[in-house]
Amino acid sequence: MSVLEQLNRGSIYLICGLIVAFIAVVCVVFMIRAWRAGKALGMDTTRMKRAVTASATFSVLPSVAILLGVLALSGSLGVPWPWLRLSVIGALHYETQVASAAAEQMGISLSPGQMTVAAFPSIALLMSICIMWGMILSALFNRRYLNRLQKSGDTETRKGGGFGDRAMTAMFIGMVSAYIGSYVGDFISGNGRFTFSGTWTPLAVVAAAALAMAVFTYFSEKKGKEWLDNFSIAGSMLIGMLVAVLIGH
Amino acid sequence: MENGKSYEAYLKSTHRLGRIVSVVSLVLLVGAPFAIGAVLGTQPDLGAVARSFLSVGLVWTVSSVVEFLVYTPMLGAGGSYLAFITGNLINMKVPCAMNAKELVNAKSGTAENEVIATLSIATSALVTIVVLAAGVALLVPLQPVLQNPVLAPAYANVVPALFGAMAYKYYRKDPKLAMIPLAAMMILFTLVPSLTSSTSFMIIPSGALAIGLSWLKYRRETKGAAGK
Repeated sequence: MSVLEQLNRGSIYLICGLIVAFIAVVCVVFMIRAWRAGKALGMDTTRMKRAVTASATFSVLPSVAILLGVLALSGSLGVPWPWLRLSVIGALHYETQVASAAAEQMGISLSPGQMTVAAFPSIALLMSICIMWGMILSALFNRRYLNRLQKSGDTETRKGGGFGDRAMTAMFIGMVSAYIGSYVGDFISGNGRFTFSGTWTPLAVVAAAALAMAVFTYFSEKKGKEWLDNFSIAGSMLIGMLVAVLIGH
Repeated sequence: MENGKSYEAYLKSTHRLGRIVSVVSLVLLVGAPFAIGAVLGTQPDLGAVARSFLSVGLVWTVSSVVEFLVYTPMLGAGGSYLAFITGNLINMKVPCAMNAKELVNAKSGTAENEVIATLSIATSALVTIVVLAAGVALLVPLQPVLQNPVLAPAYANVVPALFGAMAYKYYRKDPKLAMIPLAAMMILFTLVPSLTSSTSFMIIPSGALAIGLSWLKYRRETKGAAGK
């Protein structure tokens, strides 16, 4: 039996599948509780349904990209382990890096044919402990941290206004700016400072998706097509990704 | 008042449940390599794992602290417990929750925002679980489509596509404010291109700059309103 055949054994699928199923149940429980709390608060169910529909459509394309991450890692780590890692806790952009760093530390690489049965459990454990701190911090400090923020937010609100919403918008603007700035920097100086020879595809994708979003917003706000809001992010992403395909060929 | 009390109770039980499921998930995820090791007939080399963690793991530990501090206020209690368990925060959960919040016009730090963020992240995580489960089940027939070289650039650019759409949505709220962190990041990444490998860390100075500018504007406006 080859290494990959061993890593794809039914019993390993079962171990990983049970954990994925547990997390799925947790999601359903949180969802039902939030829905009930919303109703108890007197929230309009149409708004809650809208949040659910928009989040579902939003998540399809990134999920397909995550599936590709599973495929990419399956050549060296088998299918069940990357499936588990990327279904829960793992992040597409971290997982591959951690996996290759972990493999390197074990004296092998993630290239096909390099993995050994003896190294796999150590690599899997290292992947687990490298990306578990968010969950630990959340379990230990979530309540205290949010209470503290809530108290300072209440003080601000009493003083007049409340800065919380603006702070979240500003944080998001900062986050998006960091990523777009990195695409610009990569294009201008990616292959040497001011050589303008780096890849420009991400910039074109950003521009196309932003333009598509502007069109969706126009129809939603000016033409009364508010239903488009539920699909505007997914639609804009699709157009941006289509532009990437066109540039690639 | 009644609503306030029941919401307090909901929040309290959410924290309790969140802590329990975080600990259980942690045990399951750390325990899985040992269970798989038992199937394979070999166990993790704990000494090697500890040494490797010291050399490669600390980077991600710092990153986790940053993620916890930045994303928890955005996602609320239920949303952040779920998001840290289900992962893929920057490329999916955080933008997804922010989008849902915008669509239903929920204000940060409110009970409504707590409910909407939890619904959004739970839905998003379930969609990923279903897509991945279906993808794994149909791996053989789907492989030629997913690994088609024609589609490769599309999948490689999911994050730029996401941030392009989100940029329009957020920049138009305050274009003047947005231009400053954007210009600062463009200059910084151009002058120090090696920073592109640490983009997730650069969210901190960029976000701090945007929040600082927003705070100054807010103070100016509230002082102006108080003066009238």
